[in-house]
Amino acid sequence: MSTTDPFLMFALGCAAISAVLLIWYLIRRPALTRATKIVLLFGIGLLPIATAANGNVAGYHATKTRTFCSSCHVMTPFGDDASNPGSTSLAARHGHNEAFGDENCYTCHADYGMFGTITTKLGGMRHVYEYTLHFHQLTVAEALPRIHIRNPFPNATCIRCHSTEVPGWNRIGDHVSLRDRLRAGTVSCASDGCHGPAHPFARVAHIRAEQATAAALEGTPR
Amino acid sequence: MTRLLQIAAGLTLVGLALMVWSMLVPTPMPVILAMSVGQLVGTVAFGMFGYAVLVDQLRKQRARGVKAARAARAAASAPANGSSSEAAPGPSSEAAPGPSSEAAPGPSSEAAPGPSSVPANGSSSEAAP
Repeated sequence: MSTTDPFLMFALGCAAISAVLLIWYLIRRPALTRATKIVLLFGIGLLPIATAANGNVAGYHATKTRTFCSSCHVMTPFGDDASNPGSTSLAARHGHNEAFGDENCYTCHADYGMFGTITTKLGGMRHVYEYTLHFHQLTVAEALPRIHIRNPFPNATCIRCHSTEVPGWNRIGDHVSLRDRLRAGTVSCASDGCHGPAHPFARVAHIRAEQATAAALEGTPR
Repeated sequence: MTRLLQIAAGLTLVGLALMVWSMLVPTPMPVILAMSVGQLVGTVAFGMFGYAVLVDQLRKQRARGVKAARAARAAASAPANGSSSEAAPGPSSEAAPGPSSEAAPGPSSEAAPGPSSVPANGSSSEAAP
């Protein structure tokens, strides 16, 4: 909980006043006069609406934080890696950046554009669905090989900050030779051999799982 | 209506509790519950409050209308009843309208022939001999 978030403080204040008014009404049980109606208008109507509105904004801010993303146990390694100062993974390097800070998961995984926030939140609801029905019972070791990004990571997200126009970027030979394909999204910035994988421990888990499956298939009598 | 308002107050407290929980513990489940169940419960409670106030207001208006109709009926029946209207002047005519005003004569009925009854009754000047 961030105590500096003004939306949060305002929402909590409204909720507290509303609760006091409602508890007074429930205990004293006054007659339904005009004054009682005004008190209830504030207690049931205006203050809870203010709480909900400001709570939504505070909740929206909260859903962008790394602690929120890694609050599901299967996401713990991702959060731990991103907040590990010693890690050199792509995600961690962005997590160390002040511009990304505590919201580095959201900054990289949010969709861009006018309705980006909405599509990102809808995607988040899919995560809740998947977690509740498929991943909740799994251990982290069991879940890691099964966690994968739904759509390929878009280069547009990288290009938002890493412009393909600046001289520094164009000094790299691979950048120049792949520039059109990078802009078209046919080669991923985060692919193996370039700057990826963003979460190497997850890639290792995937490879191990593939090897185990292959070994099991080889050992199976046909 | 009081019961409805008490339920609305209770539901609002439940909704507020969910919202506050989501703000103090911003993990997926509280946030989702607050933004769905919490707000739904709050909206239902507010609807109940609006309904209770509306019904109360209509009831009061109807009561006021009935009172006014009774007063109008009493005023209309005053000339037909002759001097009996003087027997129940002012507000008492509402309490005992029509013929019953004869059954509830106030002290003014004795004073009816005098001019003093005229200002008290208003329209009863026709009935005054």
